[in-house]
Amino acid sequence: MSFIEVKNLCKEYRIVRSEKGIGGAVKSLFHREYIVKEAVKNVSFSLDKGEVVGYIGPNGAGKSTTIKILSGVLLPTKGEVKIGNIIPYENRKENAKRIGVVFGQRSQLYWDLPISDTFELYESLYGIPRERFRQNCDFFTELLGMKDFLNQPVRQLSLGQKMKANIAIALLHDPEVLYLDEPTIGLDVTSKKVLRDALKSINHERKTTIVLTTHDMDDIEAVCQRLIMIDQGQKLFDGSLEDFRLKYNDGFMLKLEFDGCFPVWQEEGDYELLEKTEHHWILKPKKDITSKEAMIELIGKYDPINLYVQEERIEDIVRRAYMLQNLPV
Amino acid sequence: MKKYRIVFKKSLKSEMTYRSAALAGVVSAALRFFIQVFLWKALLGTGAGQDIGFSDMLLYVVISGFMLELTRTNVAESIENAMIDGTISMELLRPISYKGYMLSQTLGKNIYGTLISTLPILLLSLFFISGAGIPTLCYGLLFVPSALLGILLMFETTYLAGLLAFWLQRCWFIRFYLNGLRSIFGGTTVPIWFYPGFLKALSYLLPFRYMTFEPINLFLMKVPLDQALVSILAAFLWLAGLSLLDRLVWRAAIRKLTVNGG
Repeated sequence: MSFIEVKNLCKEYRIVRSEKGIGGAVKSLFHREYIVKEAVKNVSFSLDKGEVVGYIGPNGAGKSTTIKILSGVLLPTKGEVKIGNIIPYENRKENAKRIGVVFGQRSQLYWDLPISDTFELYESLYGIPRERFRQNCDFFTELLGMKDFLNQPVRQLSLGQKMKANIAIALLHDPEVLYLDEPTIGLDVTSKKVLRDALKSINHERKTTIVLTTHDMDDIEAVCQRLIMIDQGQKLFDGSLEDFRLKYNDGFMLKLEFDGCFPVWQEEGDYELLEKTEHHWILKPKKDITSKEAMIELIGKYDPINLYVQEERIEDIVRRAYMLQNLPV
Repeated sequence: MKKYRIVFKKSLKSEMTYRSAALAGVVSAALRFFIQVFLWKALLGTGAGQDIGFSDMLLYVVISGFMLELTRTNVAESIENAMIDGTISMELLRPISYKGYMLSQTLGKNIYGTLISTLPILLLSLFFISGAGIPTLCYGLLFVPSALLGILLMFETTYLAGLLAFWLQRCWFIRFYLNGLRSIFGGTTVPIWFYPGFLKALSYLLPFRYMTFEPINLFLMKVPLDQALVSILAAFLWLAGLSLLDRLVWRAAIRKLTVNGG
């Protein structure tokens, strides 16, 4: 049996339908209509120990809801979740000891105190043995480069510094699973790199199972072996990164920059014009073509001053994947 | 237990970072104290007082102020805020009982302000309080559990009110009602001694009088010893009953929980 088992997971929310204007607001005081929104629909997957899985999907796809159910905060409407034989939402405290969670948009740190104080809080909350706590503190301080700001009040730290601290905190008690919900949101390139490297080495050295949600394809490429994609609460893909590319990522985009004089766009060509501004075009090849061939052809034809090859962004891939699945809106 | 102690310690430490806020607390507490002193001086001067002296009244004001301060930043407000901005999800990630966590946090947050703002008042009031007001050892010993139960009862009722935020999202009006009820039936503004008969009778049916009024009554030795035990028992029963109730409410609340934003 797998370490994490998710079976036919459903979560419904009841949302008040609000009507327009003050009149609508007054009316809603007396009579309310509810819409049932299915945030997660019949999602099943299983993970083995030590796997690193990217859990992706557009905004509102149901990623965070799934993570919150897995971490025992929310109860599912239907379905079953088991993490190493524990049902997280029935044994919240028991489950909490075995998991580490980072929500990219929220902080677990004491706002007015240095990080080291929150560290001590977690030492006692999780009953981490002294020696192990010391080791882990040193390890993560080193790994994430936190030495310089360990003793500053958290309110004076940058977003990146806080994120590093939050990740360290989630790992102090040697959890078996680490859930990361958009851990790189709003971080600069260097911090993102530090984080990705840290995650890789944590998974490698401690065999920690990692579930990562993100909108940054680079995060996925850097750390994940496997990908689960959902949209509108439904699972669309579950497999290796390679398979995902083969299945959905049909190519690349080209960005052509021009210096004042614009050539004329030739509609009948092999490229689709995705975006056009005063300085650049973004094109997408319609046929199967290597980037080298495309570059040579486009330089010959339009003579741009700069030409970039861009990989498709995850949102686009997910969008297309969604359209391919032909799901009703 | 260690878990709860550290939550208490850290939230106390958090609170201590703001010196000016603490200082402002001292000034406002002193002002409130003087208002009460002059008010009671005037009221008792008109001869309305039964067998209540000015010194007793002063002790009443000081002790009830102290106990109310301890639960000032109240749980209901914290729960409501955590619901509004969704931080409730972070709090539930910790391997600790939510109620215990909230209790340690509330006490940790408030104890610093309580000490800072009550100590000067205590010193000030020493000039006015006659030695006769100091309880005998027996009453003093009874006061301690009674006051502890009172503080827990205050917490318990506010916590229950706060849990309603799981359904209502906003529950500030419940807090207002609760404060009102506590004020009327708990005698936090005007001691129950001065109440008309029917209000007095009603106050026995509700938990509010056991919060500050009964403990202070003990401290001032205004109750016979056998009755004192009854009031402590009543407070305990209320606390036990409400604790059972909050378990049921919690179980339902967690089913109801939705996390706002992200």
